[in-house]
Amino acid sequence: MKARMKRILAGLAALILAALIWLPCLHFFFTKPVSAFRQEPGLSPEARQLAAWHLQLWTDPVLRDAELKKMRVSNAEWDFMGRSYLVWSLANMALRDPASKPLYLRTMDQIIDETLRLEKQEGMYFFLMPYAKDSRYVMQPPHSLFLDGEISLMLASRRVVEEKPEYKPLLTERVNAMVERFRKNPRLILESYPDQCWMFDHCIALDAIKLSDYLDGADHSALIRDWLAMARRRLVDPKTGLLFSSFTTDGTPLDGPEGSSIWMVAHSLQLLDADFARDQYQRARKELGAITLGFGYAHEWPQSWPGTPDVDSGPIFPGFDISAGSSGMAFVGASAFHDDEFLKPLAATLEFAAFPSRTHGRLKYCASNQVGDAALLYAATLGPLWQKVESRTGPR
Amino acid sequence: MKNPLKKFAVFQRSEFLSPRDLLQRAGTISVLFLLVHLAGFREFTGVLNGTIGSLTLGWKLSAFLAVVYIVIYLAFVVLVPVLMLAAGILMVGRWLLRKAPP
Repeated sequence: MKARMKRILAGLAALILAALIWLPCLHFFFTKPVSAFRQEPGLSPEARQLAAWHLQLWTDPVLRDAELKKMRVSNAEWDFMGRSYLVWSLANMALRDPASKPLYLRTMDQIIDETLRLEKQEGMYFFLMPYAKDSRYVMQPPHSLFLDGEISLMLASRRVVEEKPEYKPLLTERVNAMVERFRKNPRLILESYPDQCWMFDHCIALDAIKLSDYLDGADHSALIRDWLAMARRRLVDPKTGLLFSSFTTDGTPLDGPEGSSIWMVAHSLQLLDADFARDQYQRARKELGAITLGFGYAHEWPQSWPGTPDVDSGPIFPGFDISAGSSGMAFVGASAFHDDEFLKPLAATLEFAAFPSRTHGRLKYCASNQVGDAALLYAATLGPLWQKVESRTGPR
Repeated sequence: MKNPLKKFAVFQRSEFLSPRDLLQRAGTISVLFLLVHLAGFREFTGVLNGTIGSLTLGWKLSAFLAVVYIVIYLAFVVLVPVLMLAAGILMVGRWLLRKAPP
């Protein structure tokens, strides 16, 4: 009996010692150099493999249909945003890898044309969640800044890479319509859903307007300046200094700062106001970013503004309070601000917990989906598009 | 009926928390992981982001297969090395005790 107890105690002590040795070492098996994820210049191996998976989706209609259907069961927005992120990624890739530009442009055109066709054929609600029909838009006729902003940025990104005359009137029309609606509302706030306005959508729309100015010589710098002043004044959480993620048309906050939004918002702001953008990133990094045992991840909400899990946050993993949505979007922030100290552990977590599947030079993350993978591709390729526009206009 | 596998030492029941017991557990988990991995359960882990793993199998079965895969995967990458290290530590400990003068 005594010998048995001794053996069990020795076994338990060995297990504890082994765990103390192994757990701090675990991340070494999943950590790669940052250059595996993002390279300056050119394309990283991960970006090439992720892109190969997406390009296959857009050349194989059966595969694409299956992937999009799986996402639309949960959220029709993901179908739309997957298209947007892929087009923006391909624009950056075309600027990084001119030899493959014809392929990337062809795919961008295919995505844009199909998205415009679906919007025209099925109406704007096709890419929105069902609650968009539950109440009336405050501003009539109804428009969703979510759709108009992202479609405009798709059209503009394509034209920045290489002019396509057919897209010029489509971009001008959409940008003029957005600008007109901004001017109609003295608060400079537009809806994506009925009386629901999103910081993410405003920043994307303003980026599109800035790109449109770059392309067609208009000047909406006053609108951008006024909007930024309004956002700083009315749409910042006083406790964290982070921008709210959603609000009503009169500027009343609905959701506080959210990780699924703020990382991309900070990147979008780089084109509009570089100092404000960096400030938002640094605050988000402090409030939402975390590294444990060499693995990086992000929370959805700051401690001062707790929220409840939703379709944007994704599931929240208890204990460490890890948000799948925020952690995925943190790649965009870390990559945009060259925060390799955060990007490297984030990439380690991706290898450890997102279940990469590599076949025939193609990469997808099984724990992700098409929109998640497209956002990761964007994080791995972003940069050249903003730089090209800034080289002439400069960040404000 | 006698289990024919038991004639091999590796399949014989070992003392609880002995080095061989720890290695047998590590081996069992590794075989289980190999099986679920080869069976393609990894594809169902999309439920982690709220996407259905398979339209054909539906939410419940997809989620179940995802949970099975994730639990066995975590056991494989976290527990198996710990079990193997612990077995090594115990073996070294025993060897040192045997070497020590009485």
